[in-house]
Amino acid sequence: MSGYKENAQRDSCFRAGSTLCPGCMESMALQNIGRVTDNGVKTCFTIGTSCAEVSTLLFPNVVAWGRGDSSPDDFGKSFSIIHNVFESAPTCAEAIRDVADTLTDCGALKRPIQVFSVSGDGGAIAIGLRAMLHTINRRARVTIVVLVNEVFANTGFQYSPAATPFSDTSTTPAVGEVPGNLSPPIDYLHMTIAAGADLVAQISTAHGALFQKTVERSLEVKGTAVIFVPAPCISGWKFEDGRTMELALNGARAGVYPTFVWKRGEGGKVVDCKREAKDRPGIEEFLAAQRRFVHIVERDRKTGEIRVKPGREPYVEAFRTWVQDNVERLYQLAEIKK
Amino acid sequence: MSTEINASAPRVTTPSGDWYPEAIDLAAVKAAHIPLYTQRTEITSDGNQAAAVAGLQMWRCLIYAGFPITPSTKWAEFSAATVNGQKGTKKRVKLMEAEHAVADYMAAASAACRDLVFTTATSSVGLDHMYETIKSMGASGLGNAMLINVYRCSANYPLCIEGDPSDTLGQRDCGWIQISCRGKQQIYDTVLQMPCIGMHHDVLTPSMPGFYGIKDSHRNARLVCEPDAAIHEFQDRWIKPCPLPGLINGDTAMGNCVTSRWFQGFKVSQKRRFEKVLDVLPQVGSDFERTFGRPGVSYFELAGWPESGGADLAVVSMGPDFGTFEELREEYAKKHGLKVAGMCIRLLSPFPREAVREQLRHARAVLVVNQAHHHTRGHLTLDVADALCNLSSPPPVISTFCGMGGADVSEATWEAMLDSGRRALEGHTPPPYQIFHEGAVL
Repeated sequence: MSGYKENAQRDSCFRAGSTLCPGCMESMALQNIGRVTDNGVKTCFTIGTSCAEVSTLLFPNVVAWGRGDSSPDDFGKSFSIIHNVFESAPTCAEAIRDVADTLTDCGALKRPIQVFSVSGDGGAIAIGLRAMLHTINRRARVTIVVLVNEVFANTGFQYSPAATPFSDTSTTPAVGEVPGNLSPPIDYLHMTIAAGADLVAQISTAHGALFQKTVERSLEVKGTAVIFVPAPCISGWKFEDGRTMELALNGARAGVYPTFVWKRGEGGKVVDCKREAKDRPGIEEFLAAQRRFVHIVERDRKTGEIRVKPGREPYVEAFRTWVQDNVERLYQLAEIKK
Repeated sequence: MSTEINASAPRVTTPSGDWYPEAIDLAAVKAAHIPLYTQRTEITSDGNQAAAVAGLQMWRCLIYAGFPITPSTKWAEFSAATVNGQKGTKKRVKLMEAEHAVADYMAAASAACRDLVFTTATSSVGLDHMYETIKSMGASGLGNAMLINVYRCSANYPLCIEGDPSDTLGQRDCGWIQISCRGKQQIYDTVLQMPCIGMHHDVLTPSMPGFYGIKDSHRNARLVCEPDAAIHEFQDRWIKPCPLPGLINGDTAMGNCVTSRWFQGFKVSQKRRFEKVLDVLPQVGSDFERTFGRPGVSYFELAGWPESGGADLAVVSMGPDFGTFEELREEYAKKHGLKVAGMCIRLLSPFPREAVREQLRHARAVLVVNQAHHHTRGHLTLDVADALCNLSSPPPVISTFCGMGGADVSEATWEAMLDSGRRALEGHTPPPYQIFHEGAVL
């Protein structure tokens, strides 16, 4: 394992030039993952159609990928990336892994490669759930990164199966008496463990050192590693620029998307999020920071006080119950060893 | 594209990123190949097996990805049985959860190492499932992907597992080289030749050889298999190291949304490369015939053309039912005092427009036989009519449909269709199209 500072000085394969919103969690995650991969091993990325893809590869903008200003002389520092349709990134990563392994078997490839798959939650959990679970089930030796912003961001912030209850999205609008999204998010952490992943994590760069360590650990497992990155979306969640990390941390600590790291054979742990509600920060701060919940809570601009909107108390209570269930579920999940 | 490459340099800069030629030692891949046949061998085979054997004999084919769908399933079954039974082989069969996943897998595998050949087989709705990625791959430059399409009805209500070419004809715009085969030997020979065309530096376009489900996929015939070494020698004459970086041996970005400052130029280049197939395919076909003594790939096959070139009635069709026409052609011609000739189309995409026009130029009437659902006069009819449109006095084109859903095209049906063509020669104006079955107009 490399040190946090040491890693920060490496060449990331995620470069300047993306059109992601300034301060986007996705760019921070990719920047950090990109640095971890600067480890002397040739790196291949696959990326499904997603916010991260259209903002880094799409014509007529520049390709925001690559290590260094030009291709390195050292093959072990080189980088390649392929984009294919939404659901395809895990399958494509598996294909690259298989080709490399088969070439190695033949004695035709002497140097190792490392393979990362990058998708959004729309691509991995909605359109591509089948593809992702089967790649995991086949124990492909790849790291699957899912950037979870809870919406189909690049088509205009529509509902995704990872959407938080009561969130206002383009297709679950909070209109009249309807309080936004009424479906609980799909349990992707449990699903990926059940499918056979060797390492499953839910972590953002708000827990920077652990994030880096988790990405490094993902490269050491024999099967598939899956890292879900809660990715507060400035435009989709509708919060002020510059508050991404704060929101990522608040959401994790409040229990909306607790930081969670699990390894097959060892079990897991919930990090920085207490099991009992009374020991965690309340959810109000998390809700009030985003306008996607403005139909439920509001902040007084003068006093800063957070108030539940009249008549919306049952929704806040239901949200509180869902969060507690969510935290409890992860604590129980952490106890699974195999 | 220049074919001048420097495979000994540690890093080569290309318009598509940098390439590390030494990263992958292809000689080691070739050395690891365990031959299926060391001498010319005659076996009994159906069409699926013929296609599978050809792929298994290529040293460049290491991974066979598949998913079962009737009537192409035996391709995967035979590949799996052979690979599993071949001690020490480095080849592997990859079973996916759905056809779409197979297409995604093929896309990335082909991109990972552009010097290997990645092949699969599918059919009908399987091809439809793949369409999203297949269409992207058409423009990808990944000529090392080969999809064997076992034709089956895909305008599929009600369900029909018999073979008509509606699946492949419905994918005419996917950008793949589509070539139709009939007979086990032609299937085997074509699969051996297609990577030579698709991976040619002027072409770099994936290929889709196909043959009729059930009629060819499930019926046995004798098949001559060439020794692996001879196949390798033939393919190695044509397939040179790809001059562009792959994902493993390159520092590159690729995919269907990847930046290009010259989008229009890119699409023009795709079309130009596609048209180059018309130059390369006959060369590969001729070399194949010189090497193995059997006809190589061609635009079409001809039957009964007079030396003068002019036929009274020219029949244009495709697939194994053309054989029934060949059987009755001479007798029908004699009976009616006509010169009747046939053209069995093989290259569907790109359609060999100029060659078709030259062949049909002097015909008095052209009868086009379509076997797949189409919104108007038939896929082949439109292509043939387009090929003839620049002639000062083009022959009339009579459009027919038959054999849809894989139904047999009986002698009576052929005769009824020929009668329709004959009436046009007598001055009758044919309807836009007619549908035939068991000798009757429906």
